[in-house]
Amino acid sequence: MTGVDAAVAEAHRRGWAETLATVVRLTRDLDEAEDAVQEAFVSALATWPRTGVPRNPVAWIITTARRKALDRMRRRATLARKLPLLIVPDGSGGTGGDSGGDSGGEATAAGPQDDTLRLIFTCCHPAIAPQAAVALTLRLVCGLRVPEIARLFLVSEPTMAARLTRAKKKIHEAGIPYRSPTGDELTERLPAVLAVISLLFTEGHTGSQGTTLTRPELLDQAIRLARLLAELLPGESEVTGLLALLLLLDSRRATRVGSGGDLILLADQDRSRWNTEAIAEGRALVERALRTARPAGAGPYTVQAAIAALHAEAPTAADTDWPQIVALYDVLLRVHPSPVAALGRAVAVSMAVGPAAGLGELDRIAEDPRFAHYHRLDAARAQMLERLGRHTEARAAYRRAAEAARNPVERDFLTIRAGEPEQDRDRS
Amino acid sequence: MKYMLMMYEVDKDWVGAPEQEIQESMNEHIAFTQYLDGRGVAWSGEALRPSTSATTLRPGADGLAVTDGPYVELTEHLGGFYVIEARDLDDALDIARRCPIATGIEVRPIWDIDTVEQEAQNA
Repeated sequence: MTGVDAAVAEAHRRGWAETLATVVRLTRDLDEAEDAVQEAFVSALATWPRTGVPRNPVAWIITTARRKALDRMRRRATLARKLPLLIVPDGSGGTGGDSGGDSGGEATAAGPQDDTLRLIFTCCHPAIAPQAAVALTLRLVCGLRVPEIARLFLVSEPTMAARLTRAKKKIHEAGIPYRSPTGDELTERLPAVLAVISLLFTEGHTGSQGTTLTRPELLDQAIRLARLLAELLPGESEVTGLLALLLLLDSRRATRVGSGGDLILLADQDRSRWNTEAIAEGRALVERALRTARPAGAGPYTVQAAIAALHAEAPTAADTDWPQIVALYDVLLRVHPSPVAALGRAVAVSMAVGPAAGLGELDRIAEDPRFAHYHRLDAARAQMLERLGRHTEARAAYRRAAEAARNPVERDFLTIRAGEPEQDRDRS
Repeated sequence: MKYMLMMYEVDKDWVGAPEQEIQESMNEHIAFTQYLDGRGVAWSGEALRPSTSATTLRPGADGLAVTDGPYVELTEHLGGFYVIEARDLDDALDIARRCPIATGIEVRPIWDIDTVEQEAQNA
């Protein structure tokens, strides 16, 4: 890569979201803005080798993209529009509270940070389906190209292009405004944004599609987005909590798969190879998130991050503070009840108290219909049965789990366990 | 922008419903329309007779076929609607949250030919 190529790549990484977010306000059309920003980067590749890399590359890109957008708008002026323009409210006021009407006094000049937030909240609006919001965020906020996103989600390029077009059309037609919420409304809307980032990470952590366990590019993009949001909203404890959670989970990336691409359980991972830098940053962020939590208490991402921090701190699986983890799962089930949290608690109980107690917990939560096809419930049951020496039942549970698992690496792992002779399993 | 709030409910014939139930529902809608007026929202709205009173036309090989019943047989039906003027979807959703709700409210933007033409000129 030449110096100019590297400079353009760096400007793209650092400046794409800000540039697009600014240009959208000008064009009030997502497609037009995308094209203008794309042209500005092409222009940089052509111009910078002659002129040298400008002192502030992102500012150059923004100026150029705005000019390209104005040119396009002038050319387009005579053509009838197919879609209504994006609604860009003045300032960033809330949408009428109990008093009704506009909330005044918030018509502050929109800075670049505010524009980027607008872009994020528009892409992650609850009126857009989560899967579409993830793709849209990768395109508009991260600046990934359509073929890249298609590859990441293992769908064809036309399929992904159509998905993105539909989502953008929904924004224009339904009148989803280009604004970022404030005050109580921010609290209300933030979970949808965090869910999009979390969904992206989960898909990268244990993909439901593809042949590998993890997909590092998705993990990197999710962490990058969480970082961006944490910079833009430093006072929101749940944003800090989410970034902490992702860093702590990702600190085990190198040890979750063996040399043959096979799955390695948390208890069997080589902890000396965990990413200590990520762990240190994650732990500091958890502490900050806990300190800045709202009076109502820490939110679900912060609590999960605290759990992940306890795992990260433990020198071995046996030395983990399991009673504390059980207590944190109790908190999690109170602030954000979910079958996954209930399962996490059952596993922690089996470690803190014993496998029989863990099985009791599993029996109780298995009555939840949402668990009908959740393979990890059977996988957890299988491990507890093994520890109790009930190997035949354990193998049957592994078999059920393997049948339901979607990730092939996870399925192979469970299939091997289902078929292994009893004496080999006694050690674990 | 104009939005339609489509109120879905389990098919119900209000004729013959207990007086008190009718009164309660009426009161909820009166309160909502007072809220709309107080907020300065331009609106209109109607309640529909049950889906059993519906008649559907469908184009067929021999012209239009007339059938008894709603277009789609569901357990829940469109029971009534409001058309409101709102700034954007967030504004419309904020208003819709205060609308009396049975099994669900679908919020749909309405084609507004005037706005589209005006935007084309402004662009």
